[in-house]
Amino acid sequence: MPGAGSDDDAVLLRAVAGGDAAALSRLYERHAGRLFGYLYRLAGDRMTAEEILQDTMLAVWRSAGRYEGRSTVPTWLFGVARRQAHNRLRTRPSPEPFHDPPDLADAGPGPDELAIAAAGGTPVAAAVDRLPEHHRDVVALVFVAGLPLADVAEVLGIPVGTVKSRLFHARAAVAAELVAQEVSE
Amino acid sequence: MTDDSPERRLDELLAGYAADLPEPPDADRLVRAVLTRSALAGLPDERPAPGRRHLRYLAALLVAEARLFRVAVPVASALVMALGVVVVTLGTGTGTAAEVLTLIAPIVAAAGVAGAYRSRNEPFAELVDTTPTSPRVLLLVRLTLVLGYDLALALAASAVLAVTAADGDGAAGLDVLVASWLGPMALLSAVSLLAAVRFGPDVALGAAVAVWAVRVSAGTAVLGDGWLARLVLEVWTTSPAVLAASAVAGLLAVAVAGTPGPWGREPGTGRGATHPV
Repeated sequence: MPGAGSDDDAVLLRAVAGGDAAALSRLYERHAGRLFGYLYRLAGDRMTAEEILQDTMLAVWRSAGRYEGRSTVPTWLFGVARRQAHNRLRTRPSPEPFHDPPDLADAGPGPDELAIAAAGGTPVAAAVDRLPEHHRDVVALVFVAGLPLADVAEVLGIPVGTVKSRLFHARAAVAAELVAQEVSE
Repeated sequence: MTDDSPERRLDELLAGYAADLPEPPDADRLVRAVLTRSALAGLPDERPAPGRRHLRYLAALLVAEARLFRVAVPVASALVMALGVVVVTLGTGTGTAAEVLTLIAPIVAAAGVAGAYRSRNEPFAELVDTTPTSPRVLLLVRLTLVLGYDLALALAASAVLAVTAADGDGAAGLDVLVASWLGPMALLSAVSLLAAVRFGPDVALGAAVAVWAVRVSAGTAVLGDGWLARLVLEVWTTSPAVLAASAVAGLLAVAVAGTPGPWGREPGTGRGATHPV
């Protein structure tokens, strides 16, 4: 996010590096919405997203002095957030498999409805949630974090062409999933 | 004119993916939590570089080990060394400065080294065993303390005697004085350490005293001045061979430290063992 906002971010980050807690608060307020949204989409639940957000701001508080200005502050922040998310989510146990499903008619929501509800309540969110992790990451950074493709490439450490390719495949997969949902309905 | 293409529709749907997100936590609450966690966890980024960290760790180990030494040991060492200096300074006719230092400095260091190896029957051994620092590192730290202290004492005594006895019959330069005790001190300390790690501090002290008694008697009528006396005197000098042999014996002692003794147990645990390990 080039411009005055970017300069303000850099000033705030320098103040954070100097131990200014008020600057940390200001920096957080400027990016909290997008950071939390991104982490919420990655984690899938509010509590985990809050924990990762706290990890992220702790990492920012401790390592602000290492920011060298080679990327924009938002890109740096999302890079930190993604690393913290990876650290916390990789240790998360995979969901318990179903055992002995009851062979009874159930008036409750089916698997699709449960998936949609778990993914944020919309069919699109459920479709994105079914994407492979590397595709989901690109979608979250582009559509939730609102980062330009070049910044997404920097956060993920991949070429811009690869970002475009992943985005293309992710969009195709989401479209196919939504079409399949409409057909089944 | 509106664009109703599937791509456009998909973009709108994906934009909706970014909507309806929960509100982020309150800034004050989050920053307070971050600062608390940071204070509780310390500040790893402010830690010194690895080299400095190792030096600090080593310094902390030296201080911690120094606290475990009984004060009587260094005090006794200093008193014995001071006595030697006084004897030479007063010129009581018992020998030159070099001769006195040669007799005193090695046995003082060897006695300290004998006690540097900590057997498992010491009161705090069990507690020390729970620390992540290896027994060999602790032994090296204690040796550094003991030998460093005894070396400093011997150097101080040599310096004093080099100045005060300059005009006397036993006058000698500092280099001559240091050469008179350095080799014997290294060799006797190595022998003492080797005995300590295999047989315990009591046997080590006895062995050091016995070996040194042979050296002392080499200059007297007990051994006379035959080939045996000359051989003993030759062995207990400062030479590259003696220093090298001392280093090898010291390294061997550190290598076998912590391994079971000759009777399948740690040295010094002969009595009262209720649960052999």
